[in-house]
Amino acid sequence: MMPAAGGAPGGSAERHNGWWQRKRTRELALVACFLLPSLVVFFLYRVLPLGWNLLLSVQYWSPLKPARWAGLDHYEEMLLYDDVFWQSLTNTLIFIGAAPFAIALALGIALLVNSDLKGAAVYRSIVFLSYPLMTVAVGIIWRWMYDERGGIINFALRESGLVAKPIPFLQSFEWALPSVIVAEVWQVLGFYMIIILTGLQSIPQHLYEAASIDGAPRWAQFWRITLPMLKPSLFLCAVVGILNSFTSFDLVYIMTNGGPGHATELLITYIYKSGFGQTKFDYAAALTVAQFILLLALTYLANRAAGGNAGSLERR
Amino acid sequence: MISRRTLLKSGAGAVAATLAAPAIAQAPKKISFLTWNIIDQEPMIRGWIARFAKDRPGVEVEWLDKKGPEIPVFYQTQLVAGTPPDIINTQGALGLEYAAQGALLDLTPRLKADAAVGSRFNADYLSNWAYEGNNYLLPFYITKTLLFYNKPMFQKAGLSGPPQSFDALIDAAQKMASGDASGFLTLNFDWLYWPLYATNGIDLLSKDLTKPTFNTPKAIEVTDRLAKATEAGAINKISWTGRWVEPNGAFAAGNVGMLHAHSPAYFFVKGQGKWVTPETLGVAHAPGGFATPNSHGLGISKASKNPDLAWDFLKFVTNEGAQELGVNRKLVTGNIAVDTKNLADLEKSDPLVYSILKTQLEHTDKMVGNWRLGNDSKIKEAFWPELQNVLLGRKDAKTALADAERKVARELKRG
Repeated sequence: MMPAAGGAPGGSAERHNGWWQRKRTRELALVACFLLPSLVVFFLYRVLPLGWNLLLSVQYWSPLKPARWAGLDHYEEMLLYDDVFWQSLTNTLIFIGAAPFAIALALGIALLVNSDLKGAAVYRSIVFLSYPLMTVAVGIIWRWMYDERGGIINFALRESGLVAKPIPFLQSFEWALPSVIVAEVWQVLGFYMIIILTGLQSIPQHLYEAASIDGAPRWAQFWRITLPMLKPSLFLCAVVGILNSFTSFDLVYIMTNGGPGHATELLITYIYKSGFGQTKFDYAAALTVAQFILLLALTYLANRAAGGNAGSLERR
Repeated sequence: MISRRTLLKSGAGAVAATLAAPAIAQAPKKISFLTWNIIDQEPMIRGWIARFAKDRPGVEVEWLDKKGPEIPVFYQTQLVAGTPPDIINTQGALGLEYAAQGALLDLTPRLKADAAVGSRFNADYLSNWAYEGNNYLLPFYITKTLLFYNKPMFQKAGLSGPPQSFDALIDAAQKMASGDASGFLTLNFDWLYWPLYATNGIDLLSKDLTKPTFNTPKAIEVTDRLAKATEAGAINKISWTGRWVEPNGAFAAGNVGMLHAHSPAYFFVKGQGKWVTPETLGVAHAPGGFATPNSHGLGISKASKNPDLAWDFLKFVTNEGAQELGVNRKLVTGNIAVDTKNLADLEKSDPLVYSILKTQLEHTDKMVGNWRLGNDSKIKEAFWPELQNVLLGRKDAKTALADAERKVARELKRG
């Protein structure tokens, strides 16, 4: 039997479309299969806790008592009556504020180890060594170094005649936070340095050669070529710095446990203490929401500062 | 005629029943026992479990041990999950907080029904864990604060013996302070410094625990004196900043005149301080005989599936087990008969430890800082940072105590 006129091309197109759709469906199903485990984990461990945390923050809740509606009571307590919240927020912001200094320091070191300096590879390794160390170990090491009686820092200060009496670095309201920040910077410096070094090494050399031919001095090359080309690396360091400031729980917990008073209390340590130390899980949830909002705001600002498209895929 | 489906269902049911029946019949009665950082006593605890299980066929006891900071996190997550350990060992006022939350079984009816059990213990220590008139924990091992003093430093300063009043304590501290040496140190966590206030007639709360009563001219004066003595170096600053290791370590260094701490501090100080001998370390009550307890108790989780078995284990540990615990760890357990025997032995074998432990059983009617609160940690958090502000020179006493009063009143109101 002969096919109807025009039937063959039409049938072929339909068959082609059908095959294409089936292929697309199969591909989509495959993509979904690959994505599903990650999405499930993301939903269970990110979206669900976030939603539950939000709900918890507007309830009165303790492990063995039925939840009651609290409205904005916890937020009112936090914003109007809780001095510790404001202190821990201030401390967290100071911690964040220290990140640019650390990045600037790392940039300086990266420039040095990227130069023809003799033994640059050794220095690079030494600076990076602090980063893979466990934060708990870093906290313990620095705690001992700061120790009033047997710490090497006080020993050096006294032996050199700079101070007559040992400085109680971690026991003083004035010294505790800067001391913890120094330890934090020391640990993360190596990471910043490696990121910036990678950025430095990816800057095409011909840009510097062209600038030299045009007679641009070294400082102009730094400001006009190096810094702009390092923008993505510096942005990454800034984001990591912000995240580190929010999650420096272990270092603070080990070194000072937030003390003396609340001189080194960060939002993250205060959240932990409120939840597990004082069984105020509902209040801790409200604090967590505050921290989340702050984190969102800072990430947005950092993104804006980086030109507004940091992290987006490059268009081909 | 039986259908194929009915036949298959019946067969599957029969197989399941056959498999499950012995399992149910043989399922052991199991309880879990959570202790607080005594992993070093593993052989002893395994021995208790073996002896306890030997007389009770089919009974299993699972032992868990967690370090101090881990216990609240672990217990509360287990509570939320509905699987708390059957028996829990807590320290200080934590047990009362759990009782207030409804996590612990009220032991009062069992203590009434089994009167011999309650009468085993020192009544003052037992009553430390009474919340709203009901008892939730039994003493496991007990401690309260006392005054350790460095005899050579006392002699050098021309002091004849431990101070008998707050004024004498401050004077003695001032006499011993010079250069790197300071006169006095106290532990500060869990209200352990409160005897310094109690000896001046100051109480934190009203008798009914509903109002703060500490903001008085006397309290301002005492706080001011403590701050000035700290500023002058008579009181070591670590008193108000360190927790356990730092103050005990500082006293062990040998240049602090007095250490106000609970009895376990001795073992730390002895371990670190080569100077510590019966001739050099003095032991006394703090002025007025006041002391803050920081004991360990054992309670049963309300969610326990085997509360009777847990109660039996509790009785076993605090009686048969107590003797061994007291000897191994050189401590007092609150079990009167056990402590009497162990102390008699220690008097001959280790007179210094004997003199320390003896203080733990004296003046037990003068225990302070042990308010039966269900929100002790919140009150502590409202009060302590403000006091710390004065003692470390950030605020004046009047302002700080007024701020503390406002915060404590707010926490009391919030419940």
